[in-house]
Parts: sequence; structure tokens; C-alpha cells
Amino acid sequence: MKSVSAFQSHQDSDDAPGTTLLSRGLGWFSIALGVTELAVPRTLARTIGVDPDGATPWILRAMGAREILAGLGVLMQPQRPVPLWGRVAGDAIDLALLGIGAAFKRTSTPRIAGAIAAVAGVTALDVIAGTRTQRSFQRANRPVVYSVTINKPPEEVYAFFRKFSQLPQFMSYLESVREIDARRSHWVARLPIGGTVAWDAEITEDIPGQLIAWRSVEYSTVTTRGRVTFATAPARDMTEVRVEMQLGFLGTEPSATLAKFFSKPQIKGDLRRFKQVMETGEVLHSDASVHRRPHAAQPPRSDESIERSDMFSANPPTAATGVTPVANPPPNARVTIDTGSAQTAGAKGVTP
Amino acid sequence: MRATCWMGKQKVSVNHVPDPQILNARDAIVKVTATTICGSDLHLYNGFMPSMMKGDILGHEFMGEVVDLGKGVKNLKVGDRVVVPFCIACGNCEQCELGNFSCCENGNPTGWMPEKLMGHAACGAFGYSHLTGGFAGGQAEYVRVPFADFGPLKLPSTIPDEQALFLSDILPTGYMGAEQCEIHPRKVIAVWGAGPVGQFAIASARMLGAERVIAIDRFPYRLKMAVEKAGATDVINYEEQPVQEVLRDLTAGRGPDACIDCVGLEAHGHGLQYAHDRAEQMMKIQLDRPLAVREAIFACRSAGIVSIMGVYAGLVDKFPLGALMNRGITIKTGQCHVHRYMKPLLERIERGDIDPSFVVSHHMNLDDTPRGYDMFMRKQDNVMKIVLRS
Repeated sequence: MKSVSAFQSHQDSDDAPGTTLLSRGLGWFSIALGVTELAVPRTLARTIGVDPDGATPWILRAMGAREILAGLGVLMQPQRPVPLWGRVAGDAIDLALLGIGAAFKRTSTPRIAGAIAAVAGVTALDVIAGTRTQRSFQRANRPVVYSVTINKPPEEVYAFFRKFSQLPQFMSYLESVREIDARRSHWVARLPIGGTVAWDAEITEDIPGQLIAWRSVEYSTVTTRGRVTFATAPARDMTEVRVEMQLGFLGTEPSATLAKFFSKPQIKGDLRRFKQVMETGEVLHSDASVHRRPHAAQPPRSDESIERSDMFSANPPTAATGVTPVANPPPNARVTIDTGSAQTAGAKGVTP
Repeated sequence: MRATCWMGKQKVSVNHVPDPQILNARDAIVKVTATTICGSDLHLYNGFMPSMMKGDILGHEFMGEVVDLGKGVKNLKVGDRVVVPFCIACGNCEQCELGNFSCCENGNPTGWMPEKLMGHAACGAFGYSHLTGGFAGGQAEYVRVPFADFGPLKLPSTIPDEQALFLSDILPTGYMGAEQCEIHPRKVIAVWGAGPVGQFAIASARMLGAERVIAIDRFPYRLKMAVEKAGATDVINYEEQPVQEVLRDLTAGRGPDACIDCVGLEAHGHGLQYAHDRAEQMMKIQLDRPLAVREAIFACRSAGIVSIMGVYAGLVDKFPLGALMNRGITIKTGQCHVHRYMKPLLERIERGDIDPSFVVSHHMNLDDTPRGYDMFMRKQDNVMKIVLRS
């Protein structure tokens, strides 16, 4: 099923070898400079025109140690952007120190000006290397892929997922999904810091029983691109579900790095709950899991607001248990004691 | 309601907590009529199981009366007398279809936690840390039972509480330990630990036809019960006798054909190895003290079976992998698939093949649970199994 992917159009065409060469060069430069700072700080101080006495040698030695570490970091992972951004940060420190040094009396102005120019030049190279590496790293970076096996045939799993309005049942951060037409849908998600964010997405590919791919429409606050595939597990009437996802904000190109950072634990949990909904009829809760924060395994108090994945279900809360007089939830609490939503999941009846 | 809460290392108290609510359509609320303290509760009590939180309600072995049901439960009705398996299994996933109920893929809502520690999540369990889902336990007046249409077993009124209660955990656990040994009359079985699970492993091994069963423990009263009630043919008190030598002696050099570990992560022992394990456990370098399982592997006959029913939590040190590999030993283990054994074992109880109430040594009120924990941990007053009622 290696048909069209929402991702493939954004790959290849890369100048990685040149960028790597530049990174390596900067790495070795870092080490050479670091060794010089450590070994002959006074000579170096005179060369760049600052006072070779007082605290200067020690500052230079410390900077030398930092340079060596930064250099090693770059050389060990020349394809990764983070060590290069570390070098850029070091350059900023160097420039700041030189600026401070320039203010002292015993400083040679022409020499320190030369030093500042040299550091500025290297900084420019670092920024170029960092930017390029970042770009190629992101291009080569595979989208986040998570998977789960569900004990239902692919057609059934696909059919449930394809009704996007049902997704908030197990995607706990989604408030609602509304299907605008056959291709477009409107998504509303809750932010962890409070408030909501909304975007429109369109289906880019749809093969019944096999695959759904989507991307956010242009100019969205949240940009996302993803696809979910449904494949039959070997020799069994079960479905292997795989989700690939990229994520961005404020109209930027969706990236795997951001998806990994923001949605990795989320997607894993979503898939676990998706499996529960498909197989058992609803999301399973424990006395601890109904709370968003860590909570002792004790039944919730009636004044505690508990998180329920089916809390946006249209069904009204049902009075609970008979042994327990459960107070009506306070008007703004996010509580729904809804024991009936299992049926909306379309799951099969349970036979013990 | 009143419930036994874990309040810290070696601190439990009976607190007033909110009554349970129906949270899922397939829930039942059960009024607990009898519950017990399990040996594995001591691992929580002594603070060896990670992910406990102050206030967690303990208890995973209980029975009671159904007082409320979610909309999705059709096979039970209010008033039914049930015994509830300690493991929370859905009955729908592939593992449940295969009968591996304690490996249920849907029973643990906090499954990401055990995934970090153990690679994959196993089933949920009542009152057994947040690694197994964060479910409130049964040492309480009421308990919420998820997947109530699948787990609980309805009991006939002819079976008294003391005979039915242990179907919840320790009887099936001991039985599974013995069943994994593929017993036939020729086989010699050695059982490490003569606590309640060990007693049932011994009794099950005898029930399945083993002619010779050797019990290993350090408490004379437990070894006495193993012989008199469970049917052990030989006993070894490891405080007095060298286990490896005696086992070799009893089997004329072969070693036991199968060994059952009913001890788990707080094994006691002697010498350097024990001191080393204890120190590492204190420093949290290893979560478990695997003395019994090490000893069992070492003693087991080549190409034999080591059946592990004792509870372990994490990584262990100095594991005799060489002995295991070179001598072709098979390890069989797992949290008990209780759902698999409840009905057949109830039938055996009804037929009189086994009367599990022989392990009961004390009756207490739920309010006395803290005293029960302390007594059970210190093995005072020849304690074997404490039955709690509210």
C-alpha cells in the first residue's frame, strides 16, 4: 500500500553533504580555538588586545573548555542542528565578553575590533550551518508514527474513524470535530493552558478500509498533516492501525519535531483509548484516571471535577448508583456520569 | 464509606472516603461482604512497589453483593452474590479471546506507566498501585467493579464465604502455579514459600496427581500446615537445612522436576547474596530480591520447569541465566489468569476436592485492617490468612 503519501512531496532535493562539511569544519575550529584558550590564555589575550592579567586567563580557560565541548558535540552529530545552535549561543557569549573587554583601559582598540570582527564572521557561518542543518534534518525526519492493533476487521475500524465527529470520544484534547462536506472538516481542540484552538482540515486521500490522509487548509493557526492506515494483521481478522503526524503553528510548515514534542504522548494515549472504544465499547476509567492530574485511587468526591472522554456526549448525566447519592454536578464542572455512550460507539454486544 | 488506604511505607489506615460511582456502562458496584490481606499487599505495605500514592485504597481479593449496575451489564442483577477476580480484563481483546486474561490489553487506563517499566502494559488490578490502572481496591465497604459483565462469578448459596473468597486470587494463583508444572505422578514438585498461595500450590499439585511435593519455608507453623492440610510429603526449613543439598538428597541427585516460586520480591535468605540483594533494594538499584527464583532455577532438574507465581516488579541482578540456558530450563509465569480458573475451581470446591478455607487463621473487622497488616508482616500469632468484614 505504498500509494500517495501526504508526506512524500516534501522530501529529497537536499544539499546535506556540503552542510555537513561546513559543520565539521566549525567543529574542528571550535576544538582548535578551545585548546589554544586552555593552553596559552595570556598569549591569546595579548593577540586579541585585552589585559592578559587579572581574571582574563581564567575566563579564557573557561571559554576554552566550553569551545571544546561544543566542538565535540558538533563533530559527534554534524547532521543535527542542536549542537550548532549551541555554538551560536557560545558566539554570543564571546561577543558579549569582548564588548565588556573593550570598555577596559588597558585594551588595544584595533586588536579587539579585529577580534570582534573575526567572531562575528564565525557567528555568521554558525548561523548558516545551523539553519541549513535544521532544514535538512527536518526534511529527512520521518513523521511520528504510532500504531495499535485492534481486534476488529479493518472495514469496521476505518468506518468508525472516518466519522470524524466520533474522534473526540477517544482523542481527549479534541472538543469537537464537525464535518463540513465530504472533504472538509472543522476541528476544535482544547489547549492545556486553557482556551481552544480551531482549524479546518481537508482529506487529501481516502481509500475505504485502508487509508485516510488529511492536511490543514492554508492559513490555519494549527497546521497539521497526517494519515492513518488500516491493515489486516497477519492471518487474523484484526486491524493494524498506524498514525503518522506532522504539526506546526501559525501557518508554518508542519514538522515531525513539533509533532513529537507536543503530540507523542497524546497520540499514544489516543490509540490506547481508540482500541478500548472499538473493542470494549467505551473508554475505560479508573478512580485515578478520571482526574487529569495524579490522584489517589479513591472514588471522586461529588465536588471534584472529573475528566471524562465522553464528557461532550449529548446524553444528559444519569443519576448514579443507589448506594451513593451523587450530587448534581456544579454547573461549570466538566462532569458527565454517562453510562450510555457505549452504544453510540457502535461496538458489538459483550458476551461473557 | 470506610476503606483501607495506603498512607505511606508501613502505614495504612481505615479512612472515610467517597462511595464509589458507576464510571463506565459495564461497571457494577459491589458491597463487600468479605475481603482479605494478600501476601502481595505486603509488597505495597513495605513500599517496594513503585507508583503508590497516599490515599490509594488497597485490596484485590474480595467478594460481595451486587448493589448497583451500569447500563451495559445484562448478566448480573442487584442482590447477586459474586466473587470478583483481582485482574480487570475486558473479554474482548485478543489476549482475552486466547484466555490470557491477566494480559488483557484494555484493562489498564494508565498503561503508559507499565510500558515504561515493563515494555508493554498488562491488565488492570484492584488496589494495586498506579502501574495497574489506579483502581480503588476491595478492602472497603463498597467497590466499583469494571467489566462486571465479564469478570465476577455468581456463587451458589451453598458455598460459604470462606470457601469462595479465595477464588478471587490466591486459589487460582496457586493452582496455575501447579498447572504450569505439567504434573504427572512421576514428577517431584518443590514449592518455595508456604504462605497461602504456596499452600494452594501444594494442594493443587497433589490434586493434579503429584506423588511427592516438597515445601520450603522458614516458619514451622506454615510447614506444619503444608503437611497436615495441603498434602506436602516433605518439608525443608531453610533456616535449619541447606536447601540445595536436601533437594538433591530427596531426589537422588536429579533435582525437582518442577519448582514453583510462591515467594516473590521480598524473599528472605542467608549470607552474602541476601545482604547484597537487600542493600541493592534499599538503594533502589533493583526493585526485587529474587532469592527464591534464583534458588529454584539452580535446584531444578535439567529440562525441568520453573513456575513463577511470586510477584516481581522490575529488574534483577545476578540472575542465573547460564544455568537456565545450559540446562534447558523452561520458565512459566504470569499474573494468574483468574477468569480461566474460577469456574472449574468452584466445581472442585463443590465436589469436595479441595476446601480452601483451611488457610483462614484470623477473622477481623475492617476497622482492624492496620493491625492485620502489621501482624501479617511480622508473622505473629501463626498468622496465615486474615478475613476482613465490615
